[in-house]
Amino acid sequence: MHIDTTQIMKIISLLPLSLKLIIMTNILLIAGFIIGKLALYKFENAVKFFAYYSVAISVLFVLYFISIIWFSISNLFAGNAVYSAIFPIFLFLPFIIGHFATYEKVHFYTNIQILTLIISLLLALSFI
Amino acid sequence: MGQSLDFEFIHENQCKRAVLLFHGMTGSPFEMKKMGRALFEADFDVFCYCLPGHGTSPINIKTVRWEDWYTDSTMHYRNLTKRYDEVYLGGLCMGAVLALTIAAEYREVRGIISLSTTLFLDGWTIPWYNFFMPLGLHTILRYYYSFPEREPYGLKNEVLRKKIAALQKRNTEALDNYPMSCIYELLKLSKFAQKNMFRVQAPVLLMHAKEDDLTSVKGSQFVYRNVGSSIRKYIELEDSYHLVVMDNEREFVFNTSIDFLNSLSNYAPADAKKLVAIGSEAADAY
Repeated sequence: MHIDTTQIMKIISLLPLSLKLIIMTNILLIAGFIIGKLALYKFENAVKFFAYYSVAISVLFVLYFISIIWFSISNLFAGNAVYSAIFPIFLFLPFIIGHFATYEKVHFYTNIQILTLIISLLLALSFI
Repeated sequence: MGQSLDFEFIHENQCKRAVLLFHGMTGSPFEMKKMGRALFEADFDVFCYCLPGHGTSPINIKTVRWEDWYTDSTMHYRNLTKRYDEVYLGGLCMGAVLALTIAAEYREVRGIISLSTTLFLDGWTIPWYNFFMPLGLHTILRYYYSFPEREPYGLKNEVLRKKIAALQKRNTEALDNYPMSCIYELLKLSKFAQKNMFRVQAPVLLMHAKEDDLTSVKGSQFVYRNVGSSIRKYIELEDSYHLVVMDNEREFVFNTSIDFLNSLSNYAPADAKKLVAIGSEAADAY
C-alpha cells in the first residue's frame, strides 16, 4: 500500500490550528498515561520522576483544554453549533473520572481516561 | 508497625486530665513523643495514636480518606472522655486541623493546642509548579504525583535536620514524600474544618512558625479570626520551621502549652495555676 505523505502533509496543513493542537495533545496524553500506568507500580518510589511526569501531563492537559475551548469557540462563530457543542464534554471528563477514582482502582480509571482520550482523538480525526 | 508507634503515658495514681495528641500528615506519633513526655511530667496523662494509613507501607496512605482520620480520632477522644474528667486535644499540622474539627463537634473538649495548623499549603518549600495543583488534585493524576520531601524537612535546627535526613534514609517505612492523594484528603478535611470553625467553643492556643516551610501563618490566623472560642491565644515563633515540636523553640512550645492547659484545668497543681493572658501581641499585630 502506497502512502502519499505529501498528500497527508497537505491535508494537515489545511487543518485549523486548534484541531491540530487537539490531535497532538491527545496523542501525547494517551502515550503519557500508558507510560504512567506501566511505570506506576514498577517505579513507585521514583518520586522525582513522577513529580516531573505529573507536571508534564498537567501542561498537556492545559494545552488540551485550551485547544478544545479554542476549537469550540471558533466553530461557534463559524456557525457550526454541533461541532462546538460536542468537544466541551471532554473538558469535564478528566475531572469526573478523577472524582470517582480510587487508588485501589487506579489502573481501571486510567484505562477509562485513556479510552476517553482515544474517543476524543477519533472525533477530532473525523473532522478532517 | 502502626500500633507499635502509638504511645500512652499514664500516671499510676488516677489522673483526672488527659491530653490526646495528633501527629501530622505523613508523620507518626514519634514526632509528638517529646511533647507527650513534657505534658506527662506536668501531670497530664497523654495519648497519641497512629492515624489510619500512617506508620505502615506508603501505599496505605494513598487509600485512606479524611473521614477515616476523623472517625478514628473521634473514637479515641470518646474513649478518653469515659475515663477522664478533662480531655484536651493537641495536634501538629493535619493533627491540629483534626483537633479543631473534633472540638467543633464536641463542645465538652476542654482546650486545644493547635500547632502549625495546616489549612492551606502555601509554605516556602512548596514547588514552583504548585499552580498546577488544582488540576492534579481533581484528576487521576493525584494517584501518580507525590511532593518530594526536601530540605529543610520542617526543621530550622541544622543538627536535628541532618539526623532526621539520615533517619529517613535508614528507615524504609518513613515517608520521604507527600502523596497528592493524601494532600487531596487533607485539603478536604481543611475545608470541612474551615466551614465549622465557628462551632469551636473550647479555648485554643495557636502556635505557628513565621518561617513555616510547609504552610504559612495564614492558616493559624484564619483559625484565630474565625474560631468561636472566647479564649484564644496566638503566638508566632521566630526561630522554627514547620515541626515546632522538634525544632529550636520546642521547650518554649511545651512550656507555653502546659501553662495554657493548667490555666484551664480544675486539677492543675496550685503552683502551676496561673492565668494565661488572653490574646497576644503577635495576634493583635497582624
